[in-house]
Order: sequence, then structure tokens, then C-alpha cells
Amino acid sequence: MTKDQTPHLVNAEIHLGDATCPNREERAHGINVYYGKASELLRDARSGNLKQVDRKFQQTSGCTLNFYLTVRVNTIRDAAIVYHAPVGCSCPSLGYRELFQHIPTSMGMPENYDLHWLTTSMNEKDMVYGSTDKLKATVLEAQRRYDPKAIFILTSCASGIIGEDIEGAVNEIQPQVRARIVPIHCEGIRSRLVQTGYDAFWHAVLKYLVKKPQKKQKDLVNVASMLSYTWQDRLEIKRLLGKMGLRVNYVPEFASVEQFEQLSEAAVTAPLCPTYTDYLSRGLEQEYGVPFFMYPSPMGFSGTDGWLREIGKYTGKEKEAEAVIAEEHRKWDPKLKAIQEEFLHIKPNGEKVEVLGALGQGRLLAQVPYFDELGVKSSAAMCQDYDNLIIDELEKVIQQVGDFDILVNTFQAAEQTHINRILDPDMTLTCPFQGSAYKRLKGVTRVHALRGDPNLWAQQSAYAGAVAYGNFLLQAFKSKSLQQTMKEKTADNYKAWYFEQDNPLYFRDNDEPVVS
Amino acid sequence: MAKQRNIAIYGKGGIGKSTTSSNISAALSELGLKVMQIGCDPKSDSTNTLRGGRFIPTVLDSLRSGKRVETSDIIHEGFNGVLCVEAGGPEPGVGCAGRGIITAIELLRQRKVFEEFKPDVVIYDVLGDVVCGGFGIPIREGVAEQVYTVSSSDFMAIYAANNLFKGIKKYANSGGALFSGIIANSTNLPIQREIIEDFAASTKTTIAEYVPRSLTVTKSELQGKTVIEGAPESEQADVYRVLAKKILSNQDRYVPAPLDTDQLKDWAESWSDKLLEVRDSPSHVKCELECIVPGAEPIVAKPRSQRIPVAKVTAPRKTAKAKG
Repeated sequence: MTKDQTPHLVNAEIHLGDATCPNREERAHGINVYYGKASELLRDARSGNLKQVDRKFQQTSGCTLNFYLTVRVNTIRDAAIVYHAPVGCSCPSLGYRELFQHIPTSMGMPENYDLHWLTTSMNEKDMVYGSTDKLKATVLEAQRRYDPKAIFILTSCASGIIGEDIEGAVNEIQPQVRARIVPIHCEGIRSRLVQTGYDAFWHAVLKYLVKKPQKKQKDLVNVASMLSYTWQDRLEIKRLLGKMGLRVNYVPEFASVEQFEQLSEAAVTAPLCPTYTDYLSRGLEQEYGVPFFMYPSPMGFSGTDGWLREIGKYTGKEKEAEAVIAEEHRKWDPKLKAIQEEFLHIKPNGEKVEVLGALGQGRLLAQVPYFDELGVKSSAAMCQDYDNLIIDELEKVIQQVGDFDILVNTFQAAEQTHINRILDPDMTLTCPFQGSAYKRLKGVTRVHALRGDPNLWAQQSAYAGAVAYGNFLLQAFKSKSLQQTMKEKTADNYKAWYFEQDNPLYFRDNDEPVVS
Repeated sequence: MAKQRNIAIYGKGGIGKSTTSSNISAALSELGLKVMQIGCDPKSDSTNTLRGGRFIPTVLDSLRSGKRVETSDIIHEGFNGVLCVEAGGPEPGVGCAGRGIITAIELLRQRKVFEEFKPDVVIYDVLGDVVCGGFGIPIREGVAEQVYTVSSSDFMAIYAANNLFKGIKKYANSGGALFSGIIANSTNLPIQREIIEDFAASTKTTIAEYVPRSLTVTKSELQGKTVIEGAPESEQADVYRVLAKKILSNQDRYVPAPLDTDQLKDWAESWSDKLLEVRDSPSHVKCELECIVPGAEPIVAKPRSQRIPVAKVTAPRKTAKAKG
């Protein structure tokens, strides 16, 4: 089991007596402004020199509430969601339709799924006088309308600034409400790092929803998945673990409240993304002794091998794991070889093609070695954020694939355009959420699909996903008409002088550390 | 008609700013001026002594009721025609009082109360720690032009005054209000005057007037009245009349030079030794007590030799840390 032994780098203990978690900056020295070599980032992190700084110019970004925490909580079945916020903060709930409406029920999407979404719609009066009465009334209304098993309260900047006594309101009203009330402290002002929102969610889940185990379920594997795992990935992982005689307890999307309650009964908590799952995994181990591992993720062939073996170890299914690995390799190895072969011949001189991907920090660790497997070179990466939770693993990746440039930013399209202009990779891989519309003659495609994409070719997890994405990437190299048209028909987004600066972080504010 | 004068009076809670404001308002009304006093403190008792000790419905309460707010709901006539307004605010411990001030002042502007009532003088009586943007609203562009602070020689009152100076300095370049003087309250002893004069000199500010502590104020307030109304013939009433006239004629407006935290600490420490000497002097104690409660028996402090010695506490010296 991976356990961080360096308390000055990571504050590993979880205090469920507290209303919420510390933010990622506090917990693991998280940052989202950095440009340099990965080795430099690592050195700065090890010596405790990483500092979160401001930008003098910043483009739009996500917040701990709205960066897709909401759409996830929305999907939890037999639950309702109450935003304690001005009405606008709840609009990301609409993303539910955008993300999930195309998944057919034949693939396991729940039928007649209703969105149970309420907001206290805080206004001027509520700000001045406080509005816990309104919050209590809204929770009661959620109970009356939906009779759910859980009612999630999502807090906002507005409720946070005036110091609303959320826990007091919850304690007061819980005896009148059948549903379990679960307050999540995801005030946007708490943190620059959207990951803090996930930690806050897991904290609330651990504190209010997870029950003491009735009986341990030896064949149950907790899997907390991030949004960049598609519906097909979900099915594929279920299939692989099913072959080992194991069942997946998928949270949070489309999970039932009961599934959260039994997180404590599972044999192991396995990661899809280590830093997304981290808080839940640590909490379940600390409180209920459920073991966990952080690496690897089931991405690429060797990543998936390692992932299945780790699960096998914790569930006593080592043999089954080896059997599945062998069988899958027999099926998929030739397909991977064919892809490698094609990549070798894209460039006439036999050089590897160069890709530059925008990734979450967890995906970075898995994806860079996976590119290596495909025979694609990735000498730089764009990363949404960085924190010390991945410090050891980052070191391993550097040892494994060599040093690389790293740009850490959350959705800063200008900076990403800049680094693309400077490094000029053969293919840029954007995150669908990164807001980065590049215009370049060489290729652009996406680094991953989203949960709601039910297509087979959108797969990216495990062996099938490694092959599907490999083919997808190949396809992108073959089709260039969109880029050509874009380049011809549209003007540059940014002025030439910006590209003349040698650093994409031209707007970094060097004077003011905001978090030490 | 002369241009409407907009004056903000800040002061730490309990320092006597509402007493001072209300007496100034009453004194100005005696001069035949139409005065509006706006209390900007969630306690909502700024104008009580102008209204027989009674609370009036606040702007925010009216807003909260959900009905359309009419000016008659929020503007109440008090002593000698003084127009009384209370911004109001949340219960202690909930909501956001600062946002309340913003909302209330915005509503007064939207309802065009100043155009409707055409006051000659508007006095904003504001809770003075300027802890957030809301309490800074009266010193921002387009509200008050002149600011006074009520301060005693107590360190905490001076700290609040210094904070106010910081606020004024911040908005000075963007059309905000400028400072016009310290109203030195409860200054009966020479040393109290010395302290506050020294603070004024250190911050490049001026003293608008000295107001002694007086039982007449207490007596009048217990009847729900200002001194001007309750004891019009008293000396204290004249003190306020003089102050009101000074304020009326004082067109001085300037940016104060607030002390930074270390400077303020050094300044306060420089006075501590002097104060200890004064405290140990029986004559001073007697004098002070007599000023407050005439004829009272002074409690004489024991001579220094009979007191239990207290170790002098000094701040630990900063030691340079070895590098590495």
C-alpha cells in the first residue's frame, strides 16, 4: 500500500469531526501556476519551495463548486441536491443533460432518471440577515417532494462569506427529515484548486453517509471515477473485474445512496485517478480499515496489468487476475502492435510523433507512460494542477520516461496556446473542459472523452481503451481538413507580442505569494 | 440654498458617537437647518435620543417586510424636525451587517430621499472599526465628503480611528471622503488630551473639539433625550453647540497619515510608562473621579512601595535564525 511518510509534504490524516476538509493548498501544497521542467517541479516540491502565486491576467476557470462536482452529485440516485447559493451557482446542474442524455438505458443508464435539484436562491436580504431558515425550508421541501434517501447541501461563496451555520441548521432539522442530510463545503473562495471540491465531497460522504460495515464483502471493489472516464470504460472495468469474480461499487455517478453506505464493506478501494480518489481512500482506511492503493491506474497495458494485480492481491484473486491479464493480452496485444507500427511510419524519417496533452495530474502519471507504450513521444505536458499527493509517483514517471516540460494551469487557454506555439508538437491533445480552442496547422484532438460519451471508440480505460484511443489518435493524424480550414478562415486569438515572450506564464505575478 | 453637507461620524462602538452625532444634529436644527441623521450600525439606536428613546423601523426591516418601501416607512421626524433614519442590520452572529449598510444606503439613493427632503446637513453615524467594505461605504465616492471620528484617549478607540484613517487614505484618490477632525470625547484630564493630541500630531490630523465626560449626558439619555433637548441650559449643551457650529464652518478636508501596525504599537508603548505614573498619583485619581461623579470618595491606589512587584514583561528579542 502506498502511504506517504512525509507529513511536511502531505497532511494525510482526516478529521471527520471537522465540518470539512482542509483545502488542497493546505493539505498537500497544491498549486496551479507553474512552468518548468518536471524535475524542477519535483525539486521545488521536495524542498517545500512550491508556492501558489497569482496571475496578473487570468482567463476563466473552474471553481470548487461548479467544476463538475455538481453534475456528479446530481446523478446520485434516490437523492436530492440543495444549493445554498444565489440561483446562478446552481446552473452547472444543467450540465447533467449535456453530459448524460446520450447514454442509452440499454447500457445501464437508469431509466426515468429525474434531476432532483433545488436552490435556496439567496438574495440581498438573505446575505444581510442570513438565510438558514430558508435553507431549512428548502431541505424540508426536498424531503416533501422527493422523499429521497439523502439530501446533499452544496454551499457557495455567498453562504461562506456570511458564515452561515450550516451544521447548526442540519443538526436542528435532521430529526424532522427522513433523508440523511449531507452538507458539502464547496465554497468557491476556499481554494484555487478544483480538487478541493472533491475532497469536500468525500469528507461529507465519509462523515454523513458511510455506515459502519454490517458484514465485509470480500468481492466488492470501490471505484471512484472521475468524469474523464467514459460510459464504456465503466462497462469495461466492470467486465474485467467480473471475470475475476469481483463486483464494482462505482461512486459517485449514478450510484445509489446504499452504495455510499456500504463503501466501508468493500475489500479494497481502487483508483481510476489517484488524486481524485485519495481523500475517500484514506478516509475509508482510517475509519473502517478498508485498504487502498493509489497506483497504477487502469490506463495503458502495463498500467492495467498492475491495477488488476493490486486488486487481486487485496481480494485474494491473484490467480484470477493473472488469468484475466493473460487472456486480455492475447486478445489485445496484436492490436496494440499494429498501432505502434502505424505510429512508427507517420514521420518519414522514422522519428516518433510528438504529442502535447492537457491532463489532470492523476492522468498525467498514467498517460505519459501510456504514450510511451503507443510509441508516441510526449516531451511536455499541460497539467491542471499539481500537489504533493503525487510526488513519489511523479519521480517514478520522470525516471521511467525522462524529464519533460510541464505547464501547470487550470483552463488557461492563452498559456496553453503559447506553449503549443513554442513547442510545436505534431498533435495537441486538449481536455474537453479546458476551454482551449487551438488553431494550428498540425493536429488537434481531445486527450480524453467524457463520461457521457457512450461510443465504443471513445473508450480509453484498460486494454480495450488503450487500443481504442490509440486508433483514435492515429485517425487524428490522418485527418487534417478541419485544422486547415480553421487556420485559413480565422484570425489568431492572441496578439503576436504574447507569443514572442519566452514564457507562457508571462502574466505570473512574481511578487505576491498567496499561499506560503 | 447652499449645497447639502454630507458628514460621516465614525467611532468605535460605545465611544459616544451616537451621543455626539445626535447632539450635533439637535444643535444644528436649533440653527434652523434641516438635518438628517442616518445611523449605520446594526444596533439601530443612533437616533433614539432624538426620538424620545424609541427605536424606529429600520431601512432593512422595511426591505425585509417584502412590501414596497415608501420613504415614510424609513424616515421619521425627531426632535426639532431632525429626520431620523436607521440602516438596521441582522441579529448578532448571523448574516452580514456590512452588506446591510450597502443595501440600505443604495435604497436611500434609489428612493431619492435626499432630493425629496432636501436636508441641509446629512450626518452618517457609522460603527467605526471599518472592518469591511460595507462600513467603508459612507467614505466612498458620492456619499459623505467630510469625516470626523469620535475617539477617547483609550488605545482601542485610537486603534479604530487609525483604521478609519487607513480607509480614508484608500479611497482618497478616487473621490472618497476626506478627514476633517477628531472629536476628542471624554477628555477631562490633561493627560487624556495630551495622548489624543499626540496621536493627532503623529497622524497629521486635527482636533475638532474636546468634549468632556458629563453626567448631564447620562441624565438626558436616561430620559431619551439629547442634552440639547433635555438640558438646554447646561454647559454640556453649549459644548455641543460650539462643536456643531465648528463643524458647519469647518471646510478643512485632508488625507490623514495613518500609522502602520508597528508604528501604532511603538506609539502606544511610548505612552504606557507615562500612564503608569499617572495611575500611581493619588491626585489624578481624585480628579478623575470627581469629574465623573462629583463628590465621590476616591479610591487611592497604594503607593508603589506597597504593591506586589510585577516582573516587567518585555517582548522576546528576535534572534537571527541560522540558515539551513
